[in-house]
Amino acid sequence: MKMMKREHLVDELIRRERATESNPFLASRVMAEIERRSDRAGRRVPIWQSVVLAGTIVAVVFLGITIGSSYSERPTAGMSLNINDGQIENLGYYNFIDHEQND
Amino acid sequence: MSDQQLIKEIISGNSTAFRTLMERYQQQVFRVVMGYLHAKEDAEDLTQEVFIRVYEMLHTFHGEAAFSTWLYRITLNMSLNQLRKNKKKRLLQSLDTIFNRGSSDKTPLEMLEREEQDREIRAAIDALPEKQRMAFVLSRYEELPQKQIATIMNRTEGAVEQLLQRANEKLRKKLQSP
Repeated sequence: MKMMKREHLVDELIRRERATESNPFLASRVMAEIERRSDRAGRRVPIWQSVVLAGTIVAVVFLGITIGSSYSERPTAGMSLNINDGQIENLGYYNFIDHEQND
Repeated sequence: MSDQQLIKEIISGNSTAFRTLMERYQQQVFRVVMGYLHAKEDAEDLTQEVFIRVYEMLHTFHGEAAFSTWLYRITLNMSLNQLRKNKKKRLLQSLDTIFNRGSSDKTPLEMLEREEQDREIRAAIDALPEKQRMAFVLSRYEELPQKQIATIMNRTEGAVEQLLQRANEKLRKKLQSP
């Protein structure tokens, strides 16, 4: 008798859960979510663009290091500074104090 | 319009066709999910996820089986995955159902007793092994014939019958024990 009641209770619970209606706007909710996700996917940067950008950064860094390490402070051999300053005006002439004393 | 025609329309970009397909199967999916989760809000959320998955995977459906079979398989798999994730949430859920009971003509004591009985029955259903529970939910919540259940579960009709017998026995034993 008790078992019969239990089985009836199981049927009753299943009947109640089966009778639960889903939200009538569920279809609209799903459609909105699908649209939102596809918009997001459309805005997503394609993988090749990210790869190209990363490659460019690596190339620039590598180029910078290569140029930086090829520089040396040692002056180039055989190169000398040869300036003929004979034609340059004597700057001492414009020294005001010296000029006054001469007067 | 048949399911196959609707699917062709959807794949060619007609989203209205998907809404039609969804409205056709929404309640079936929802009932199966209710058989696993027993809570309306959770079942709605999972039903939504099922249809989003269906939309994303529709191009992989080649029509070897009926669309409904494919849909039921996705629903069952996602329900099982959700259950695994949900174990922690169950205590909160049962508290929620106790505190948010709707008004009824029963006395608070009767309502509490019924809630306790429901909780026991749900626990007994939830304790069924995976395959038995699958067969049980499809048979009792969806009222599908054994032949269709066998197709969905990729088993023979005899195997499904056995699963259902075992599920009922287990349920009986579980509910007999104090």
